[in-house]
Amino acid sequence: MTGFIDARTLDAATVLEPDLAIIGGGPAGISLALALADTKLNILLLESGGMNFDPQNQKLYAGAQTGKRYIALDAGRLRLLGGSTNHWGGWCRPLDAIDFERRDWMPHSGWPFPRTALDAYYPRAQKLVEAGPWLYDKAGASIASLGAPLQLGEGGVYTSWFQFSKTRDSNLPTYFGHRYENDLKRAAHVKVMLHANVTGIRLTRDAQRVDRLDVATLNAHGGKHFTVKPRITVLACGGMENVRLLLASNDVMASGIGNQNDLVGRFFADNPTPRDVATLVSFAGAPAPYYGDNLALAKGPILRATFAPSDKFRRARQTTASLTTLEQPVDLDDTGKAAVITTAIALGVDASNAKAYSLGCGMELLPDPERRLTLTGEKDALGLPRLKLNMRMAEADFSLYRHTLKELGRQLLASGTGMLKIISQESWAQNMDWGNHHLGTTRMHDDPKQGVVNADARVHGVGNLYIAGSSVFPTYGASNPTLNLIALTLRLADYLKKVMS
Amino acid sequence: MKRRDLIASVAAAGAAVAAGLYRFTDLIVKHYAPTPYDDVLAALADREQAERFGASVPGTLDAKALAAKLRTVLKPGGLGAAAKADAIAGRLIEVDGWVVPQSVALLSALAAKA
Repeated sequence: MTGFIDARTLDAATVLEPDLAIIGGGPAGISLALALADTKLNILLLESGGMNFDPQNQKLYAGAQTGKRYIALDAGRLRLLGGSTNHWGGWCRPLDAIDFERRDWMPHSGWPFPRTALDAYYPRAQKLVEAGPWLYDKAGASIASLGAPLQLGEGGVYTSWFQFSKTRDSNLPTYFGHRYENDLKRAAHVKVMLHANVTGIRLTRDAQRVDRLDVATLNAHGGKHFTVKPRITVLACGGMENVRLLLASNDVMASGIGNQNDLVGRFFADNPTPRDVATLVSFAGAPAPYYGDNLALAKGPILRATFAPSDKFRRARQTTASLTTLEQPVDLDDTGKAAVITTAIALGVDASNAKAYSLGCGMELLPDPERRLTLTGEKDALGLPRLKLNMRMAEADFSLYRHTLKELGRQLLASGTGMLKIISQESWAQNMDWGNHHLGTTRMHDDPKQGVVNADARVHGVGNLYIAGSSVFPTYGASNPTLNLIALTLRLADYLKKVMS
Repeated sequence: MKRRDLIASVAAAGAAVAAGLYRFTDLIVKHYAPTPYDDVLAALADREQAERFGASVPGTLDAKALAAKLRTVLKPGGLGAAAKADAIAGRLIEVDGWVVPQSVALLSALAAKA
């Protein structure tokens, strides 16, 4: 077992020549390194941070914002080994098949391949996130002993399932840096270099290939500068930092690498997570506990139920993805009580034990090219331009989700199970939170005019530069991205094995 | 006191007590003056709650028009059948955010306006 390399100890002007350089030690970078560890490729994983949080390093993420209020750019992600898995909640769920489809009613939608292209990689991704056996939409049978699911009857919304990275008892989710530290150290051909900030991706003069990477340590860390000359480079710094590096590396391509069609940084997305979108009344009383809490099966996975629109419903009603969860018990006002009594009597249902709960949600945003990241004139401690985010949400982002809520309400009534109150959109906006899922800024598309990378995740026009992570998601879905971006990264690993062997 | 006067007094007292009891039970079950829509409002098992909910129902139909519409809707199988059919068919109205069958909303609105 060899230790990690500390970039601060390198001699200035050092030149390293690995087969593969991975920029970024988050879940994508670490998964890629581990997936290729059994090859003979010499792999160098460059991580800006160390093993622990460093405020000075974190400040490199700071940026400006315009438009809709959003989380500060240095608050929603973490710059240390393991990346943002150091603060993730462990929520896992595969994307739905429809998330990959091109939909005429959703401009810019569709992946260059169907979800089946990832099916082979999901089980391995599930193992890496340590979310237990793959159950998801088959989880209902495993958890039936804890109570029957709410009967929703026929319709477009069904009870789906999250699984959780090992949040059992006092255990936190899998923090990739700490969890896979020893695996990375054991890998004979993988070198992990900490405190190594890539400050520039330098192309050959013809802009066809990456020639070298400029790497530096912070001035506070000695201000060392050195060079890496890899055969192939994979950029895996997340949906914001990937953009910054590509745009700031503009010495050969004036608009930035991969930005010949002005796409790098556009289509930024996150999953809005408003906390009180509706009130659900269950006529029969408290629903099964797995609706409101994460429940661990004995020696099995941790599960939580969620209301999801079916692919069929989304196609028919032309609506977006969403995952609606039961949150807190709530009291009804007099109008609410009157609504429940009147409706339950009309339906011939006993509502004397009825209970009401608030609903929260993870929503999908429609792709929007004007929701974008650009560079500013302000520089960080490494001399790199800082980012500015222009955040937007469209009226349709709310109204399309409303279709799903109304369908859930319809099904509850039709099955005599309960009823729903939809809270006003203005109230959602006031209680808006975000998933900190940075998606879409280097989108994948076979056509260079519509995407930054192709279906193999290679940057259009650059022969040896690839991107891993959720920045390549061209359409987003509502599922938390970590499991999905790892599956996508494992697919990239298989591709790289072929092209590099 | 003559026997006739005694009987009249007892009857008057009984009537007064009955009237008082009637008013007293108003605290438990509200009594409503007759309306031209009682045939429709009879479908409500708890008119007071429906009246409270119905005050929030959007729409411009007056009581007469509501009753006419409801007589058609409720005729085949009563409120229960109409409410279920509305839910299945997606004939829903949002009342103060509550998603309810159209028949329930209209009947509640009538209760509020009658």
